[in-house]
Amino acid sequence: MNLPEILKSYHIQPDLWDELLSNEGVRTGYKNVVETIEKLSFEELSSKDELAKKLFMAQGITFTVYSDNEGVEKIFPFDIIPRIIENAEWQIIESGIRQRLKALNIFLKDVYHQQFIIKDGLVPASLIYSCPLFLREMVNVDVPFDIYSHISGIDLIRDLDGQFFVLEDNLRTPSGVSYMLENRSITTRIFPNLIPQNNVKPVKEYPTLLLKNLLALANKQHSNPTVVLLTPGVYNSAYFEHSTLARLMGIELVEGRDLVVENHHVFMKTTKGLQKVDVIYRRVDDEFIDPLTFRPDSILGVPGLYWAYRKGNVTIVNAMGNGVADDKAVYAYVPEMIRYYLNEEPILKNVPTYDLSVPENRSFVFANMSNMVIKKTNESGGYGMLIGNKATEQEMNEFKTAILEDPRNFIAQPIINLSSSPCYIDGKLQPRRVDLRPFALYGPDGIDIVAGGLTRVALKEGSLVVNSSQGGGSKDTWVLSK
Amino acid sequence: MLSRVAESVFWMARYMERTNGLLRVLRTNYVASQDEMKKYNWTTVLETFGCLSDSDIGKIQNDSRLVLKRVMLDKDNESSLINNITRARENAKSIQDNITKEMWHHLNSYYHLIRDPYISEMILNEDPITAMDALIKHSLFLYGTIEITMPRGEANNFLNLGRFLERAIITMEATEIMLKEINYEINLESSIPPLRYLLYSLSGYEAYLRNSKGVAEASSIMNQIIFDENFAHSVMYCITHINRYFRRMKTASTSESFEKVEFNIGKALNNLKYVNIDLSQGSNIHQLLITTRTDFYQIAQSLSTNYFGY
Repeated sequence: MNLPEILKSYHIQPDLWDELLSNEGVRTGYKNVVETIEKLSFEELSSKDELAKKLFMAQGITFTVYSDNEGVEKIFPFDIIPRIIENAEWQIIESGIRQRLKALNIFLKDVYHQQFIIKDGLVPASLIYSCPLFLREMVNVDVPFDIYSHISGIDLIRDLDGQFFVLEDNLRTPSGVSYMLENRSITTRIFPNLIPQNNVKPVKEYPTLLLKNLLALANKQHSNPTVVLLTPGVYNSAYFEHSTLARLMGIELVEGRDLVVENHHVFMKTTKGLQKVDVIYRRVDDEFIDPLTFRPDSILGVPGLYWAYRKGNVTIVNAMGNGVADDKAVYAYVPEMIRYYLNEEPILKNVPTYDLSVPENRSFVFANMSNMVIKKTNESGGYGMLIGNKATEQEMNEFKTAILEDPRNFIAQPIINLSSSPCYIDGKLQPRRVDLRPFALYGPDGIDIVAGGLTRVALKEGSLVVNSSQGGGSKDTWVLSK
Repeated sequence: MLSRVAESVFWMARYMERTNGLLRVLRTNYVASQDEMKKYNWTTVLETFGCLSDSDIGKIQNDSRLVLKRVMLDKDNESSLINNITRARENAKSIQDNITKEMWHHLNSYYHLIRDPYISEMILNEDPITAMDALIKHSLFLYGTIEITMPRGEANNFLNLGRFLERAIITMEATEIMLKEINYEINLESSIPPLRYLLYSLSGYEAYLRNSKGVAEASSIMNQIIFDENFAHSVMYCITHINRYFRRMKTASTSESFEKVEFNIGKALNNLKYVNIDLSQGSNIHQLLITTRTDFYQIAQSLSTNYFGY
């Protein structure tokens, strides 16, 4: 294989899919990019890397880590080499996500209303009722247009043969979309002209599509509905995203203390008195959203909001109670849901998942623990996870004890070798593991998926954990036009 | 506009203006300290901006670098420059959707500048004027950015209310510092240099020279600082602009709130406009500053109750 000079030190592993290189050489989608960076010296690449960091810092695209009463500004690590997805691959992803979301939304409506899927024996009732994110408060609540998951982030990975699998569904308050937008804007700065030369599909329409859906969800009797974005506040690690989205959509960014419920209607406190709110895009989790119904010690939410919602006086996006559909144990049943509700074969496959409340599964997993990833069903961010081939004997025993105490709280999956993608690290291109989170918007007019998403990358060599809280970073994600 | 957002805009502007004013006061005092034959005494500056006990002031009052460290860089000092900038940024961060992106970027880079090791090195070991000039320049860029990019809506009105309210307070504080240092005896020959430094710190020295044909006279200096409607740092200029920007908010207010704040602004404006005062007496000026400052605090209080109360 005749490789360009810049790739001479790029060593990929034989047992995994690399986004850039195949056995035949550089993949078609990457050829232009390789040609461009080949012309650059390592000093030039390093200065681009430096420029990207400075731009993130100067533009305040940071999160604050507070220690000793002092805030330290950090940037979410960004790798300058884009991740490229061919158009044909994207078509599969898009139709797969569309299919999956349709099924998951019907599931949510079903599980909070007639529960046909339980009655027909496809999903065990015990699985649903033991899920801490199943909200009894949502039973028989009708949501506008029967849409529950208006904004979703579906995490995808690639297996050895390049096929995409769904790793998890994020149907509650998925974050990362602002990094999709900012990563693109930084790439245009550090690689001028490269995006138009490569015919890359734009991502900038995301806020417009989101606002269109939010407005469409308001009560039709209002000609000029008020839409707000509810944030937990400036100390939340995703605050940058909340303020960016509010600014790009031109809507008010509110905190719980800015809202008040009177006579089951929601108002915001303005300098001109109370103003009625019609749609709330909330970035506050269910349990904190209304202290009168959920956690009484929460000051992030709005007292009385649940009843205003239940009476249909305000639309909350995403709906409450979605956690039951993205529970990691329920995830295993999504392919069945697709067949049951849509009478279709799943386009995107699931990673094989073992429900550890089933004794046979438990025995099998305990016998093969070093080849398994064990996850808590309701944790995210890379927390509550054990990767078998990296774990010590003691860690495995601790997990076994925890699983035996509460088996419903865990699932196991075989270790999947995430695909690798080139990253510019320490002055050379090195393969690092990546996943992909495309963002889907479900509105009354259908499902829109912006061509791209957030590619998360495990920056540590050999690591499979891409979460930002565990040392992960991100890349710009290009979807090429035909 | 959300009440919380209005309050954050108002306070962001106050912290920005306070930063700018404090920098100018420190710069002038530092220049003065290098021009003295005897050890320069920073007591009044420390009393106003140092948040220190008398005994602690005594320990550093003659050491310019320690004073600058305390007033500019010390995070334990509530009134320090670094805390002012941090708070301005914190307020801006919580209202990013109501200010322009350019303004946020600029304020954010101001925050990074004050934390830059180069700035502290200049202040602590090299030439503090270089650091102060870099910071003042950044402050001016920020005002330019606001002027050019901010829409003339409600946020801009609250921003200007905060800005002019704070500017008037800083003018009065700087004047009070100077009066105290000369023991309120403004007509002595020895009082002229401090009065001149006061004009420097309020960016008014050139304007004074043009108007007075080079003759330094205490009462005309005081007249410019308090009553000159064309001097951007005078108390009169500030209250006139507070009145102007507040009137623009009539349609965006409830009539009850508007009337209450309007009363306080009108009171402050008239108290200043129709005062009969002999400006050649330091004690008269001291008394006027106390009354006027109370009027300004009442405006702030009234805004807080009627517009920010949530």
